[in-house]
Amino acid sequence: MMIRVLRNVERYYSIPLLLLVWQAAVGSGLVESRLLPSLIRISSVLVTDTVNGLLPYHTAITLGRAAIGFMFAAIAGVPFAAAMARSEIIRNLFEPIFFFGYPVPKIAFFPVFTYIFGIGSPSKIAFAFLECVYPIVVTAYLGFRAIPQSLIWAGENMGAPNSTIIRRIVLPAAMPGIFTGLRIALPVAIIVIVLTEMIGDSKGLGYYIAVSGTRFQYANVYAAILVIGTCGFILDRALLLLRDKSIYWQREETAAGL
Amino acid sequence: MRIPPSVQHWIVPVTLLVAWEIGGDMAWLPRYLPPPSQILAALDEVAADGELAQAAAISLYRVTFGFAVGTGAGTLVGLAAGLMPAVRHFFDPLVSFLYAVPKIAFLPIFLLLFGLGQESKIAITAFSCFFPVFIASRHAALSVGKQLVWAARNMGAPRATILFRVFIPAAAPQLFSGARIGLANAFVVLFAAELIGARGGLGVLISEGEDAARFDLMFAGIMAFALLGFAADRILMIVRRHVLRGQVIGTVEQMVR
Repeated sequence: MMIRVLRNVERYYSIPLLLLVWQAAVGSGLVESRLLPSLIRISSVLVTDTVNGLLPYHTAITLGRAAIGFMFAAIAGVPFAAAMARSEIIRNLFEPIFFFGYPVPKIAFFPVFTYIFGIGSPSKIAFAFLECVYPIVVTAYLGFRAIPQSLIWAGENMGAPNSTIIRRIVLPAAMPGIFTGLRIALPVAIIVIVLTEMIGDSKGLGYYIAVSGTRFQYANVYAAILVIGTCGFILDRALLLLRDKSIYWQREETAAGL
Repeated sequence: MRIPPSVQHWIVPVTLLVAWEIGGDMAWLPRYLPPPSQILAALDEVAADGELAQAAAISLYRVTFGFAVGTGAGTLVGLAAGLMPAVRHFFDPLVSFLYAVPKIAFLPIFLLLFGLGQESKIAITAFSCFFPVFIASRHAALSVGKQLVWAARNMGAPRATILFRVFIPAAAPQLFSGARIGLANAFVVLFAAELIGARGGLGVLISEGEDAARFDLMFAGIMAFALLGFAADRILMIVRRHVLRGQVIGTVEQMVR
């Protein structure tokens, strides 16, 4: 019992410690309080803006956009990766687009997206789709490619029809790869939405941060960062949980906090 | 008749480009999608009067500096975290919380800290690089085979030799994967920072083209930025191939070119 408490203290002490140092620095007047608003101010902003509905409103918009872009990318990307892995023609046609397009900073094309899809939600969702579909397709594709051929031969040898082979052999074997891709893409979706909201929008957490920054309300900036961090953390844990539930036979050791 | 794969690779991109060109020339496409020939002409225009070179140099300076600082710090701290539990326990919770936060969200704070000039762009670029590099280095340091270190120690190698000749080479493949993600992050964050507000740089060139409704100029800037990011990744991969000669043969990493 005591050891467990101590171990948790050892593992998580840095956040409370930093917060203490922060509060002490602000309290003693060593640091300009505009740059580092006191924790009390940040939490009071967090409470007031949550109660008056401002933060929940912007958070819901950001998360909604990220979720839609992410879902479209997953729904389109995974079957596409499977098709690329199974068919040589599709592979030859599209492999260069994914492997050469991967390192291109796609954010450069965002201005074009705002013209094609308009400046509101659609351009952001479409852009989140583009940014998410790359890691999902590439990782799932490698997952599908890595399936040992002998498993498929074994299934065929026992007379399984094609649909059974896909459902019972190919999909389960590719699941770990698919989930790795989804896990890379999920924070990407949130990051991209916040980023594009900061570039130009009238709602969403990115807008909230940009506006608070220009008004020198740094406590609000920190509050929004806290909200994003918490949401990202919870969503990642949820995805991990879903992963462990659906591929119970291959559980990844959740390394200490990472 | 069978089309050889090397030709098949070109079918989709070439078809798209040709369709875009024809659609643009026939004025079927909206004004904001100028055909590739006009984009090339605009590229030539800004390249000739030196505007492109100047903007690219500014962006390149920021991204190089930011990447170097962020990757250097991330590698050092990450390796230290892998080697020393105390460092690891200090950074783990912080990194796992901040990892999912878009680093650009800190831009207002960085602007206040470092001013509106180059420094704030370089700092936020370095900041966004730090996290993936830290995670990869930490993981790399933890996964270096103990036998390798034991063997070297057994043969009487001094600590510095073990660090530089055994430990770092063994961790190198993962260090490069971290640096690669960091490089991609650096370009994304720099672009957003330049678009939100900066003097000079390709992001500014693009938004100027946009404001003047010169969409060919906008695309020229976009193409230049995309190429810059692509080339930087290629260079990193070439360096990696040289440094890791013989280390990555037959691994999955080799497939992800």
